Order: sequence, then structure tokens, then C-alpha cells
Amino acid sequence: MRLVIYHLYPDLLDLYGDRGNILALSARCRWRGIEVDIRRVTLGDPIDFSQADILFLGGGSDREQSLLVEDLGSRAKELADSIEDGLVILTICGGYQLLGQYYQTGEGKKIPGLKILDLYTIAGSKRLIGNVVAEMNEEVFSLNTLVGFENHSGKTYLGPGLQPLAKIIRGYGNNGEDKQEGVRYKNVLGTYLHGPLLPKNPHIADWMILSALKRKGLGDSLALLDDTMEINAHRAIIARFKE
Amino acid sequence: MKLRFWLALWVGKIMSITIKVLGRKGTTFPGVVAGKICPQIIGLLAASYRDGTVIITGTNGKTTSNNLLASILNAAGKKVTFNREGANMLTGIAGALLQNASFTGTPRASLLLLEVDEATIPALCKQVTPRLAVITNFFRDQLDRYGELDTTVKLVKDSLPAETELILNADDPLVAQIGTSRSGVYYYGVRSLPVSKEESSETREGRYCAHCGNELCYELFHYGQLGIYECRNCGFKRPTPFIEAQEASQDENGISFRIDGDYRVALQGYYNLYNALAAFCAADRLGIERKDIRRGLLEFVSDAGRMEQFALKNCDVTLTLVKNPTGFNQVLHTLADMKKSLRLLIAINDLAADGRDISWLWDVDFEILASEELDIRQLVCSGLRAEDMALRLKYAGIPEGKILIEHSLEKAVELLETYSPVKEEALFILPTYTVLFPMRAILVGKKTGRNQVKGESA
Repeated sequence: MRLVIYHLYPDLLDLYGDRGNILALSARCRWRGIEVDIRRVTLGDPIDFSQADILFLGGGSDREQSLLVEDLGSRAKELADSIEDGLVILTICGGYQLLGQYYQTGEGKKIPGLKILDLYTIAGSKRLIGNVVAEMNEEVFSLNTLVGFENHSGKTYLGPGLQPLAKIIRGYGNNGEDKQEGVRYKNVLGTYLHGPLLPKNPHIADWMILSALKRKGLGDSLALLDDTMEINAHRAIIARFKE
Repeated sequence: MKLRFWLALWVGKIMSITIKVLGRKGTTFPGVVAGKICPQIIGLLAASYRDGTVIITGTNGKTTSNNLLASILNAAGKKVTFNREGANMLTGIAGALLQNASFTGTPRASLLLLEVDEATIPALCKQVTPRLAVITNFFRDQLDRYGELDTTVKLVKDSLPAETELILNADDPLVAQIGTSRSGVYYYGVRSLPVSKEESSETREGRYCAHCGNELCYELFHYGQLGIYECRNCGFKRPTPFIEAQEASQDENGISFRIDGDYRVALQGYYNLYNALAAFCAADRLGIERKDIRRGLLEFVSDAGRMEQFALKNCDVTLTLVKNPTGFNQVLHTLADMKKSLRLLIAINDLAADGRDISWLWDVDFEILASEELDIRQLVCSGLRAEDMALRLKYAGIPEGKILIEHSLEKAVELLETYSPVKEEALFILPTYTVLFPMRAILVGKKTGRNQVKGESA
């Protein structure tokens, strides 16, 4: 069994310990005897989305982000088709905003996104920073909470047809107004949570791995791992808010 | 205006004396009050320093560079006022100025030496025009406090007055670009280090040219983004240093290097060579003679929590502060190079002074500790984010059986103390900022009769 993970623009988008997400995905595959092939894709590299099982797009600073809108823009159609076909994607912060229609700057200028999902982002005047606890409306691998840390000034709003990934219990989430956090569309996840996300939310990592295996017809269940340390770290954040 | 100044000065001074008499620490509170009464208090007090103000800013090495420069100035017989570590925002700076001013507002020293938090530079430079500004480096550090690194760099660049002479690290492209198209800029740097490489896989900042956005090409990487670089598009490149270290090497007693003669400083880790060079370059611009620079560097004794030694029951332990990926990586490389069995206590807090976002732990190369050549015997995780630290180590490939979580600092130290020692073993305690002083108090309090508390620097 083998999964191909595309890590998009790791040299540009590597803010906030993003590589922890790749470490978590690959370790959790390896511990189950699933081979992983991680391909780091940088500006100008050819990407064949049909080869990818999981795609990861992280967050970066504004300047670096504008560099890649251009690069990825030319392949937006191909990416959208793969998403409809069930490609598993995790996007965080800047990567999440990029999936949307546009990013409106403080001066009112609209920078176009990849226009794959019906969401848009407006630059806010203050940074939304802090630990986050959010609740999903269903249990995934016996956990229904999400924990992480957010740090963004962009406020993202979902169109009427889109479902958030989770509901905010503590923190700001997409925009600090509607209690929504992230987006989930088919096998695409978008979120403002880093921390990084996957080591402390092993259920999300496993959901991604299992979805990728299912799409390839390689299985419909995952071997259990000893997640004591992961769950401890997950619960420690929730406990911080109860103090 | 005048009245407000005198009121602020006297209230501030009386408070700072009262605090001292009561035996409490805290230089910021009088500064807060004095600043409320007279917002220009810093500028007014700083103006009476005959030899002017020197500021040191940057992500890492502010305190050490500041203290090294103070040691050199002492060797040259200069009287200096400087702020305590961490008291590097406006209120802390005001506090230090109050403490060192008489009731008539005259200072007890001729030169003011300040380590200044990067984000505080704009506000400080509205009141003070420094004679010299030293910038050590820019690394990712507490992003939650300052937003992104680019913003911090721009903030510092835009607010330094044109009259201020700059002492810049030539090897850090993010720092060096600040000197482009300015006059009165003096660079320091290192041609090559024993650890320099032609390729780098470390997480690093400033990959792209600050002037044109093209990727920078490196002839050599020293560490992080520090090295010999150039932009092949617009021609921006590492400036020729005014002070450049040659033949740098390191042994158990510290670092030695050559400039126009041989110099030595009793510190470990090549990042401290940069701190020595920053102090060297600034001292030169202040007109200090080489013999005093040499003596000041040689006589410098390291500070609290910077590779500080303590004795435990059966063993010795070294305490060193960790606060961002580059600094932490430097410590891990130093540990790995010792070729000894290792036992570590890592204590991570996430309070404001530590940085509330601990995602930076995932940018640290803990994988170094999982290397087969290293014998890691025990890893104790403590602090408010002990669980996150433990999880990071698990994903670095360290066997779970070696990782322990103990939230209580006292008990965590006991775990180190009671573990059976072996020969050729090194013990390290690595705390973040807000754990450092409580941890130090525990270690000082260990009744082995071998530990001494060093005098506090003012």
C-alpha cells in the first residue's frame, strides 16, 4: 500500500510549524505499514494532480502568497476537477483563503483567488490570535473536537452552499462573528488552525488517510494506534479553557 | 511640560526606591507610572547622557551582545547605564533610566546602552535619536506578538533615524538590506565557520531578496539564513564587513577568532561569536581601543540561563534558555557535538513573554535527538505545554518509553536527580523564558553547597 502526498510550496508556505502536519501524516501511515511518498512541489514545478492522494497547502506571509497565486492559478481547473473526484486536501490559513473567490485588502482591492470554493476573505483590522477549541457535528474516530492555534487578520465568509468544518467553542474561527471554523467540501478541508493541526488532532489525520485509501480502493478501515500522547495533548488544550 | 517631567521623575524614583527597599524585583512598574505622567520621560532622561545612546535590537542575542559591550566599556573605564534582560520595552527602559538618574535628573553614567525589543523601536525612536543602533539578526520568534517577520523588519527599518549610525550583521540578508542606500553603516560578519555548509535543510527566513524578490543564492550557509549570499537578479549581496572574523574555532573553554589579532570569549555556540562581533564592532565605533575590547571579551562571564552550570546531587546540569527554532537548533547541535550520553529536561510555557503560539516547536530539528549515534537516556517534559513537547518528541522519532511528562518543575528536576547516572553523561535543562527564573531558583536552592548565586546586574 502506498500513498502519494504532495506538499505544495513548502519553501514559501512554511509558517507556524506546518511541517508538523506532514510529519503526522507520514508517521501515521508508516506505523500502519502504509508506504508514503512525499513530493515537495515548488514554484514552476510540474504537478500532476492525478498522481496525488493527499495534497497539503499551508500558510505563508502575504508577499510569498501572492507569488503562488499566479503559479497555481494556471492549474486551477485541473485542481477543481480533482477535488470533484475526491482528492484529499488540507489547506491552512493562507492556503485556505486561496481556495476562495477573492481576498479583499484593507484598501478595498480584490485579489482573485483560485475560485474553487464559494468563500471569500476580507482583510480585518486586528489579528485574531489564540488557542481554539471547536466542535464538529459528528464524531470522527471517536473524537468530535478540534484544537489548535489561530493567527490571522483575514476574515473568511462561507457561501450558503458550504458547510464549516466545525463550530467555535473558544476562539475566533473564520471571522470572529458567525462561530464557524474552516470549511469542509467533499474531501477538502480548510482551516485557520495550526498548532500544527494534525499531530494534536490525530482523528483528522486518520480521516484524511482513510479517505485517500478508500478513493484508491485500498481499504475501508485503519489499524488502531496508541494515541495516548496525542489525546493528552488534545485534551490539555480543552482543559486550559476550563481552568 | 517641565512640571510633568519633574513630577514623573520624582514619583518614578520614589517608587523604584520603595520597591528596592521592599526587596521586590520589578523595574517596569515605576516606568509605567512615570510614562503616564510624562510620556516623553525616556527622551528627556536619555538626552542627558554625555556619550549618547546605543541600542541593540534583533531577534536573538540582544542580551548577550548588550552585556558583552558593557563588559568591553567597563574594561575601558566607561560608565554605562543598561537595562535588565527582558525589560526591553518602553516601560522597562523608563524604569532603568529612573533607577540610574539622580533626583535632579542627571545620570550616573555617561553612556546609555539599551537592548530594545524589535516592536518597541518605532516608539523609542520617536523620543531618542540613538548614536548607534546594532541589529543582530531576524528570526521567527513569537509571531503572535508581532505578526509576520516581514512586518517586524520593515517596522525597524522605517523607524531608525538617518543620523543614527548602524552596526549590522552582514551575514543575515534580512538585517544587511536595512543598510542599503544609507550612509554610516558598519557591517560585521564571519567568512566561514567550521560548521558552515554549502547546502542547508534548516527552516530559514529571508529566502528571497528583499529588493527584488528573487531567490538568494548561497556560497556558504553558517546557520539559519546566515551565510555568504547574493541575489543574481539585482546584485544585492552580503556587504563586505568592516569587522570580519577569521579562523573561528571552538573548544571547551569558549570560542577563539582572529581579526587584527587573536580574541577569545568564554561562550559556547557560534551564535555567540556573532554577539561578540556585534559588541566588537560597536565598541570600535565608540572609539574603544583594541586592548580594552580584547580584555572585555575575555573577562565576560555568561548570564543567568545562558549555558549556566549547577550542581545536583549526583551530577552537574547546564541551564540554557530556549525561545525560538534557530536558538533551539543551535543548542541541539551543541549537545549532539558533545558525543556524550544525554539527559534533558525541556520546559515549555506559553505565556505572553514565551510567545503564546508554541507551533514553533515543530520547526525545531528534534530529529537530531533521534539520531542513532546519540544516546538519549531520559527526556523529561515540563511546563504548561509539556504534552505538546512530548508529542513533538514522539513524532521526531524518540521512543515513547524515554519521554516523561511532569508538570511540577520541582518534581521534574527530581526525576533528573534520581535517575541512575553513567560516566560521560551530560544533563541539560532547557526552559522557555517564563520557566527560566523559577527553574533557576530551584537549582540555586539545591543544598549541595556547590552552587552560588551570582550578583544581579542592574
